[in-house]
Amino acid sequence: MNRYFTIIAFCLSFSAINAQSLISGVVTDQKGGAIIGANVFIAETYDGASTDTNGRFRFTTTETGSHQLKVTVIGYANYEEKLVLPIEKLEVSIKMVESINQLEAVVITAGSFTAGEEKSREVLKPLDIVTTAGATADIPGALNTLPGTQKVGETGRLFVRGGEGYETKTFIDGLEVMGAYSPSAPNTPSRSRFSPFMFSGTSFSTGGYSAEYGQALSSALILKSKDVPEETRTDISLMSVGADVSHSHALSKGAVAGKLQYTNLTPYFEAVSQKMKWDEAPRSADGNVMFRKELKKGDMLKLYTNFSWSDFTVYQSGILPQDIDDRVALTNFYNYFNTSYRSILNDRWTMQSGVSYTRSEEQTKVNQDNYKEAVQGLHFKSVFTHDASEKVALTFGAEHFTEDYNFGYPGEAGLEQDLSFDKNTTAAFGEAEVYTSNRFVARVGIRGEYNSLQEAGYFAPRTSMAFKTGEHSQLSVAYGVFNQTGTNELIRIRSDLEDERAQHYIINYQHEIKGRTFRVEGYYKDYDNLIKFGDNNFDPSGYTNDGSGYARGLDVFWRDNITFKGVDYWLSYSFLDTERDYRNFPYRVRPRFASKHNFSAVFKYFIRSLKTQVGGTYSYTSGRPYHNPNLAGFNTEETPAYHDLSMNFSYLMKTNVIIHASVTNVLGIDNVFGYESSAQRDENGQYVLRAIKQPAPRFIFLGIFITLSKNKSVNQLPVL
Amino acid sequence: MKTALLSLMMLLWIQLAQANKYEKVMLEAIESLYQADSISQYQEVINKFDRIAAREADKWEPLYYAGFGYVMMANKSQQASIKDQYLDLAMRKVNKALDLAPGESELMALEGFIHMIRVTVDPAVRGQQYAPLSMQAFGKAIAHNPDNPRALYLMGQMEYGTAQFFGADTSEACGKLKSAVEKFSTYISDNPLAPTWGKKGAESSAERCGK
Repeated sequence: MNRYFTIIAFCLSFSAINAQSLISGVVTDQKGGAIIGANVFIAETYDGASTDTNGRFRFTTTETGSHQLKVTVIGYANYEEKLVLPIEKLEVSIKMVESINQLEAVVITAGSFTAGEEKSREVLKPLDIVTTAGATADIPGALNTLPGTQKVGETGRLFVRGGEGYETKTFIDGLEVMGAYSPSAPNTPSRSRFSPFMFSGTSFSTGGYSAEYGQALSSALILKSKDVPEETRTDISLMSVGADVSHSHALSKGAVAGKLQYTNLTPYFEAVSQKMKWDEAPRSADGNVMFRKELKKGDMLKLYTNFSWSDFTVYQSGILPQDIDDRVALTNFYNYFNTSYRSILNDRWTMQSGVSYTRSEEQTKVNQDNYKEAVQGLHFKSVFTHDASEKVALTFGAEHFTEDYNFGYPGEAGLEQDLSFDKNTTAAFGEAEVYTSNRFVARVGIRGEYNSLQEAGYFAPRTSMAFKTGEHSQLSVAYGVFNQTGTNELIRIRSDLEDERAQHYIINYQHEIKGRTFRVEGYYKDYDNLIKFGDNNFDPSGYTNDGSGYARGLDVFWRDNITFKGVDYWLSYSFLDTERDYRNFPYRVRPRFASKHNFSAVFKYFIRSLKTQVGGTYSYTSGRPYHNPNLAGFNTEETPAYHDLSMNFSYLMKTNVIIHASVTNVLGIDNVFGYESSAQRDENGQYVLRAIKQPAPRFIFLGIFITLSKNKSVNQLPVL
Repeated sequence: MKTALLSLMMLLWIQLAQANKYEKVMLEAIESLYQADSISQYQEVINKFDRIAAREADKWEPLYYAGFGYVMMANKSQQASIKDQYLDLAMRKVNKALDLAPGESELMALEGFIHMIRVTVDPAVRGQQYAPLSMQAFGKAIAHNPDNPRALYLMGQMEYGTAQFFGADTSEACGKLKSAVEKFSTYISDNPLAPTWGKKGAESSAERCGK
């Protein structure tokens, strides 16, 4: 009985001491502005409230003992305060500290265009790369409509801010790609070997890029491959130039995918007359296999390999009437392998490691002479990222490149000779990114490299910062030193030449409001250590690193997808002033690939009632210099300006069938890219010049794309 | 002996009271979630679910409703970047909940719903990436519970939109929508905290089919 009583009494007393505490107050930011919708509560209990439009809250709690008062709200660091309850009445005033928020924080935009992850603040979307008219689904082709690039139509490559084509390097998942372009006949544009369909993110840097990327003087094209394909599907494409079939199979947390492609331009060249005389039109067979697997949450293993074979035979006619045509037959075998592993070690550490291997064998037969170039490259890289705090991130890593090069050519008296080298480059880099608030960020990095052939090392500091000037605008600056070993054609005859060097100074302003982006960027680039020939171009012992040059200019970009309903368009303009003294140049002069003014207008319009997307691109390039050996001076002449209007149409016939047509140079303008001159003088004692022109006025492409999958609404539209 | 028995009863009683309190608080919060109509009202009730979730670390329901609340907030927002921010938060809640209840059909349906709203932000750009993801999630939700009316309704809605755009046959989509309406009135979950939203939307979608 007594015990019963005690228990009952205990129970009663338990509720009796159940005293109420009234907690109220105000939540503000550091400047005293009210924070609306903050969650204020006693941790580990149901008791709490949200702040009203004045940042005020009040609630009662019956909890007792030692507790935590907690405040959480998006955009601010969590707040915690110790409390001992009950307190009859508690009035608190809480100031929240802003947290670094991915969506609001300033980002460094100097020198870089990014397309990816579909976040609304990106300047470009991945789809933009593949739907740009005139680009014919070629990544460099689409990037050529952005400011900072100069159109050099006869190469198809990216020439950035007064830099040569080789000064732009391509990276896939952080690893270098050698021979990123398919072979092409002389003075015809080549295409990137990699389909834009493979990538979820593209970052195109026209200068001032991170210390993680080396051996590129002007530009880095950084491609991020897709993580895991969404589902099992088969794609079949029938095109005027060939056919392909691809299949991807979803696994648990992973996928395998493969693709086979065959292209043959013979029927096309028979239907549409070409200026060049082809004995065998370009043919190619490509295959690739991809494997993706998420091993642990957030840990991703990626494997990719690609094989390709291509060949063609073309007659290169001589310039002088008595010259005989050269028969050039080319066969290329290419193999690229890339594997990377990303691992989240813990909350603060991430590691990404990878290996890439490239093998390219190219046989060129000019009349009876055989030339054979074989290149093998291996690249290892490991990068660690450490989030020291919300505001400080450190990235550091190391990489090693091995390149094995061999070039066989017919020597004198029919003896076969060869030129070869083995190059090893080791590099280490470190970079710190520091936010002081959502409005300011600075990045400081350094890269060190050692080159075994030269027995020389290089240090390349890189730094950039960005400052938010308003809610929608920001200013970025960047500076960096960039070095790159001479091209293989030079290294194979003289391997101890030092790296060429460039310094970039960039200032960028960007304004972005709902659907409209305005960007203007000014830059100055200082080239030194460029490889220069001596009195005799063919004597490697006279080669030096005494060359130099500069490039300066202004890039403007405007994009708007809201002013005209359903229409998305962008305009790019680049001004470039550049001169250099290198290779065989007698003095500082504007090189042949450099045009002063480049302008592009790209538009895309989806006509709902016709289920058709129409795209158009207009490009303008002012005249490029060329050399006339009959005149005094060097590169004194200038070509006429270049104009091109390209169109494309994609018609969604059924949910899984698309018909695509594209035409380049609709107006059929006979553009001149430059002039080449005869090796000998003609009977009048003059060198004869011949214009380098487009191989045909237009390129017409037709294709039907069919997707087979369980989900019928899937189609290949983004591939086009 | 008696004391021990009594103590045990006390303990059970306290636990029961606690469980009842969870259910009671949740039901109240769910009611105010269904009543909410503005961003601030949604934020307030999400905050409540957040508090419950912090206390009840093994329960998926508070996370589910907080996630659903964020989807509603995204619907109410005008600016694409804000919508994305809310959808990111919603996805985080769903992922956390899926860790606790990996086989829960309702969570899969909500995941599909999040992807579906992502598509609406910019259909031309995002359709290709998120439409298949959302269809896949609805498919998974139906595989785990063929009676889940929300999964049937949302999947039917997606199929209907695509079929209509291409002028294709809508009968498959309409079949799903009709069976969703049916399931909304027949299906009763044994979980008193299970979601019940979507009936009206399914009915009006199914009605469009008749025309």
